Amino acid sequence: MLFQIDAVSRSFGAKHSVLRSKKPVVQAVDGVSLHLDAGETLGLVGESGSGKSTLGRLAVRLLEPSAGRIFLDGVDIGTLGGRQLRAMRAQVQMVFQDPYGSLDPRRTVGAAIAEPMKEHGAWRADGPAKVRELMCTVGLNPEHATRYPHEFSGGQRQRIGIARALALNPKVLVLDEPVSALDVSIQAQIINLLGKLQRERQLAYLFIAHDLAVVRHVSHRVAVMYLGRIVELAARNSLYASPAHPYTESLLAAVPVADPAAARAKPRARVLGEIGSAANLPGGCRFHPRCVRARELVARPGSANRATIPIRPVDTRYGPLPHACVHDDPTLADRGDGTFVACHYPNAAAAA
Amino acid sequence: MNSSLPAVFRIPRRHAPADAADASDSIRTGETRIDPEAVLEIDGIRTVFPGAVVVDDVSLSVRPGRTLAVVGESGSGKSMTFLSALGLVAPPGRVTHGRVLLDGVDIARLSGEALRRVRGASISMIFQDPMTALNPVFTIGEQMTTLLRAHERVSRSAARARAAGLLERVRIPEARARLDAYPHELSGGMRQRVLIAMAVALRPKVVIADEPTTALDVTVQAQILDLLADLQQETNMAMVLITHDLGLVARYAQDVAVMYAGRVVERGSLERVFGATRHPYTQALFRSIPDLEGEPGCALHAIEGNPPDVAALPAGCAFEPRCAMGRGRANCGSMRPPLVETDAAAHVSACFFWHSLATTGSA
Amino acid sequence: MSSPAASLNPAHRNGNASWRRYARHPGFMTGLVILAAMVIIALGARWIAPYSPVAADMTNTLAAPSAAHWFGTDQYGRDVLSRLVWGTGISLQVAFSVMVISIVLGVALGSAAAFFDGWLARVLVAIIDILLAFPGFLLALALVAARGSSLSSVIWAIAIAFAPRVAAVMRAVVLTIRPRMFIEASTSIGMARWKILLVHVVPNSLPPVIVVATVGAANAVLGEAGLSYLGLGVQPPAPTWGNVIADGQGFLASHPMISLSAGACIALLVIAFNLLGDGLRDTLDPQMRRRADARTL
Repeated sequence: MLFQIDAVSRSFGAKHSVLRSKKPVVQAVDGVSLHLDAGETLGLVGESGSGKSTLGRLAVRLLEPSAGRIFLDGVDIGTLGGRQLRAMRAQVQMVFQDPYGSLDPRRTVGAAIAEPMKEHGAWRADGPAKVRELMCTVGLNPEHATRYPHEFSGGQRQRIGIARALALNPKVLVLDEPVSALDVSIQAQIINLLGKLQRERQLAYLFIAHDLAVVRHVSHRVAVMYLGRIVELAARNSLYASPAHPYTESLLAAVPVADPAAARAKPRARVLGEIGSAANLPGGCRFHPRCVRARELVARPGSANRATIPIRPVDTRYGPLPHACVHDDPTLADRGDGTFVACHYPNAAAAA
Repeated sequence: MNSSLPAVFRIPRRHAPADAADASDSIRTGETRIDPEAVLEIDGIRTVFPGAVVVDDVSLSVRPGRTLAVVGESGSGKSMTFLSALGLVAPPGRVTHGRVLLDGVDIARLSGEALRRVRGASISMIFQDPMTALNPVFTIGEQMTTLLRAHERVSRSAARARAAGLLERVRIPEARARLDAYPHELSGGMRQRVLIAMAVALRPKVVIADEPTTALDVTVQAQILDLLADLQQETNMAMVLITHDLGLVARYAQDVAVMYAGRVVERGSLERVFGATRHPYTQALFRSIPDLEGEPGCALHAIEGNPPDVAALPAGCAFEPRCAMGRGRANCGSMRPPLVETDAAAHVSACFFWHSLATTGSA
Repeated sequence: MSSPAASLNPAHRNGNASWRRYARHPGFMTGLVILAAMVIIALGARWIAPYSPVAADMTNTLAAPSAAHWFGTDQYGRDVLSRLVWGTGISLQVAFSVMVISIVLGVALGSAAAFFDGWLARVLVAIIDILLAFPGFLLALALVAARGSSLSSVIWAIAIAFAPRVAAVMRAVVLTIRPRMFIEASTSIGMARWKILLVHVVPNSLPPVIVVATVGAANAVLGEAGLSYLGLGVQPPAPTWGNVIADGQGFLASHPMISLSAGACIALLVIAFNLLGDGLRDTLDPQMRRRADARTL
């Protein structure tokens, strides 16, 4: 395992203020564990408020975890300081979401790409040549290194961001919504570029996105996050073909399909309400206020032979729901075929 | 209603007033047809900013009860077209040509009070970012009652009651309580529902939804668009859905127009544009998006080059520099292809070589 | 695959500073011309002023304006015009020195207060707020009274009194820059905080600060005049504009030209700085606004 995140949590707002009452604690990331291997992509999907961006920042140590540990090549990076920490930073780099905001408008593009090298003392006589080489690698004209970000298009700026992230020859790239802000036709270019780089350099990617179609295209394994937890973690094909968690099901159902016949044939999205608040978590399973499956299980208990736990309906403000869903927080567990799911009544694996 | 002289626009007639039923004329000249059944027709709109033509001779129409999807990327002019139609283009932009017929009446010639009465009541617009479209210092109820009372003579309490009813119609729970909430107290999806409620409050004939769900999560997106579809069915209003997401188009639209660099490059029914694509840009767009069914991991068919810069368009076809079919071809590089009818009625394409897409099999 | 290498947008090549845009702004050019004229007058005072500014001529006191003395003479027989000409240099010196000092102090204070966290930042914010609470002129007054009146003490007093305003503006701007993604990007590669502040934050926050600084220059001119008028500025017989006003104060009814001419000079310079500031603000702002607008097409 190249990169490992072990039971990491991060909360915000637990400060006491003299004059004001205590602010609610937001548990943005709660006990998340993941790992990455060289040359593979782990897709991380979730909606806004799921904590996926926070997790990305924890991975590159832009934020410190409140709990848990992160390992790079077996070394706990939380124990590093000073020089070793900087060396670690060189190995794990980030590609940011906003191509318009992630570059300093007052510095040239070449300076932006050179900055990581200069910061790490890796800037030698061949520095400018390396910058030009990086620009070529990402498909930019090296002559343009003296230009400013506003002279480039969105897609080109994202390429600059990628070049900057590659400057220190990292092993792991954390990509936070790298194509969301780009035009559809440019997304494909960037996705292809990222794939090429991964194959050539055996990079491990943590690909954070909300677009399920894009994630499916680039990932080998996929993790689904909801309100700070991973609710499902599976190989790509398994997740898309037979999702285990009701939230994954609803996400997949909501994805629009660019084929009129298929689009009309698709059933209406099966999810209720909107994502809850990480500052105000319900007891038991976090998803139960929105879970259609939980309601169905109570309405038609015979419909699921997956009810290994007796249902025992309980009255809530959302109507009757299974007792387990309301009171017990499910943990991430293997459903038997390598798919991990945090649900009391997950879908069974599809028959082979 | 349309008697006041134009104060906001100068709109010289670009061409002789076309007879609505004269189909043969338009095929010969390559110009678009005016559709007598349409509730909203945009005819030859041209909007310029200093140094750039952002909307170039765009003609579209939409019928009652149907949804027209206008698809395009940045620089396509899709939003600007409808801002121009509603007279919402701010200087230094100017609308220099075009008619906007609402039930046959040219509202582009209106200004002042007459235009204000049309906006909101007959045509309304839903904008992309719900946070900035609502005034943060007024409650939802205040904003909605202001809207209602600006167009109709109702008492404050009656307006409030109607506002609560509208919020219920857009499926906002606890509607009465929400009237006293401020925009920042609601989530993104709720705010967008409020905007939809305001957009349909006066029972407009046309609703223009400009990327209504881009800022929202995918599960909420589905809810919002299903809601719009339901409202449309109830009131038989026409809808224009401006978007870059072809999946949404496939599910919610019946007619499609594809725009590139400020021009319409393809227009037709959903089945035709998706199933029998006749423009290389549209086709390339389909090929470049990953979907849930295709082969994962393989290289996508990316469109080469960069999005067009409307300030520096080439002399010929705007898509030519990136077109696999036309790049380097003499015609494509030097002459602007007109919109012509293809092998089906009402399916037009702005490409000299649309027929080669028919023979090779499209999309 | 794709070859996006070649095409860059040529329309954007002009970059941030487009001198032509400044030249087209009438207010900015007017202010610039006035200021330039004043600088020339100040530098060439020795040759432009017809008389010595301190040469008293008791035979010709309180003369009315004439061909020999364009603005007349004061109660000591000194030529008012010459005093004004020599005073230009002093006013300009004060204006520019205050501008520079208050920018340096204000930028340092404001950016540190906004960019760092912890008790130090909170102390700095408190300092800025406390200083802001004092009326600027009174603060300058107190400082001059403490240090004694001389040109340098006047400059420092006004600069220190104005620096909190610059700091407050700087703080506001830095707070908007802080969360921006390119700051995060530099942080993620391990760049030290102070380095990010210097290299990335400050260059991006300068435009509003420059505008505030021109306001400071205008205030400095007024401040110096006020202090001189009260007798706390540069001491007589130095020909500062404030001193000329003070000299003419007793004769406003009979010989208004003395005070009025000095007042007009002050007004002119203040207007020049304000026009400059307005012009800067107009040319810097729409650039950002227009770029943002273009993206919503």
